[in-house]
Amino acid sequence: MAVVSFEGLHKSYGRRIAVSDVSFDVADREVVGLLGPNGSGKTTILRIVTGYLRASAGTVRVAGRDVHDGAAARRHIGYVPEDSPLYAHMRVGEYLAFAGRLRGLAGRDLDRRVAAASERLALGPVRETIIGRLSRGYRQRVSLAQAVLHEPRLLVLDEPTNGLDPRQIIEFRGLVRDLARDCAVLLTSHILGEIERIADRVVILLNGRLLGTHPIARAGRALQLRLRGPADAAPRIAAVLAATDGVTRLGEDGTGWRVAAADSAAAERLGVGLAAAGLAVVEVAETPSDLEEVFLRLTGGEAAR
Amino acid sequence: MRALAALAGKEARTLFVSPIAYAVIAVFLLLSGYTFVVTLAVGKQATLVHIFFQAAVQLVLLVPLITMRQFAEERRTGTLELLLTAPVGEAAIVLAKFAACMAVLLVMIGLTFAYAVVLAALGDPDWGPVYTGYLGLAMLGAALVAVGLAVSALTGNQIVAAVVSLGLFGLLWGIDPLAALLPHPADDWLIGLSLLARFTPFAVGAFYTSDFGFFLTVTLLGLFLAMRALARR
Repeated sequence: MAVVSFEGLHKSYGRRIAVSDVSFDVADREVVGLLGPNGSGKTTILRIVTGYLRASAGTVRVAGRDVHDGAAARRHIGYVPEDSPLYAHMRVGEYLAFAGRLRGLAGRDLDRRVAAASERLALGPVRETIIGRLSRGYRQRVSLAQAVLHEPRLLVLDEPTNGLDPRQIIEFRGLVRDLARDCAVLLTSHILGEIERIADRVVILLNGRLLGTHPIARAGRALQLRLRGPADAAPRIAAVLAATDGVTRLGEDGTGWRVAAADSAAAERLGVGLAAAGLAVVEVAETPSDLEEVFLRLTGGEAAR
Repeated sequence: MRALAALAGKEARTLFVSPIAYAVIAVFLLLSGYTFVVTLAVGKQATLVHIFFQAAVQLVLLVPLITMRQFAEERRTGTLELLLTAPVGEAAIVLAKFAACMAVLLVMIGLTFAYAVVLAALGDPDWGPVYTGYLGLAMLGAALVAVGLAVSALTGNQIVAAVVSLGLFGLLWGIDPLAALLPHPADDWLIGLSLLARFTPFAVGAFYTSDFGFFLTVTLLGLFLAMRALARR
């Protein structure tokens, strides 16, 4: 069942149309990414689903409730706006308790949920730290913690990896995948590679219009491997390749062999076979994403209109 | 109700954690204390009328400093988006900020009650004007805070909020002289809008329900406008 459903969503500011006739659903425990260039309507859609903006037309339902029917739908939403705004003068624990009370939590239930969110997002060491003194990565974690305190059905993240360093981005991906075990996640990004690594499905937007949706085949993605070994090992490599299921030999060049593995399991079997034969995989690269091709095709066609 | 209490607590802590509340209260008490000592030493009368008028003028000048950041700062930093997307209504957000600002004001005004205690120790003050004077200051303060919050809710810039509030309060404070230029009954209407004309009876010991109703109406109107400003998005 869909946690969120958008039907004919339209938003305009005077004559300027920000979002036009957008319809799609987000299923429970699904991570959906809104992908599009700046100004494509991503943030507007998130602000409508969280109740910050009112739609000009169309309906948005969260857990079956219209987002414009007061607080009922908002109880099911956790939201991290762009740049993770927080009260810089508050301590982490104090802020999380405030965020919980704002959502009607109190007493032991509040304490339990604050403790659970702090543990899940590894905030224990900074519970008494003033938020203004935290690193960008910790601030992002505090924002996520306040968003999941009340165990929402939907987690909404606007450009969540903005400003994070590579290590923080990798940690963040893991956190989102972990949080997505309990709720649906709707997030935005204008970085194709980022959204592809986090989302199960991508909704592509341009100029406020939905151009298409694209599932990300997380499992079963083909991998391209490059093998290199001593020249006299060629027969042994050929034998391992022939003996490994799900592996296709693409060709040879001056530095080694190019091989396609049907999925990560096949690549692992190949690695085990090569190691057993005394050979090493010197380079492993994923095949270029088909999302990139889909995005360029959809947005290119739209831009040409 | 629980959310309203959480919001009001957060707002009060925010005001009392920042140096703004302490600076405003300190300046207010310094100037009030100076006036109290001078008028008592020179006039030798057990009255607080001078203090009330001066305090009212100080409220006109200082309230914008308290209200200017309430919404403008939250809008600038983005935390307003968090509040408005939480399962609480605009009314709770506005009332919490109003309550916190009033707490600062009431602490500030309440501390001047020490002057009344001094007068009671040295002489025999007429307590009627003392009580109405404090009621008048509280009513005036509430009206100014509510209007200041409405102005702050309309802008994302603290300085703009402060300047517009100050201009509005200054205009309403002394608008009654303009009445001399207007025909009847427009002159009465204009005098009716004057904060000074409405506050004066309170300060001198008279209580009119019309003046009480005026400040109450301005307060409610200001709060309503602040809520509408937040809802308009």
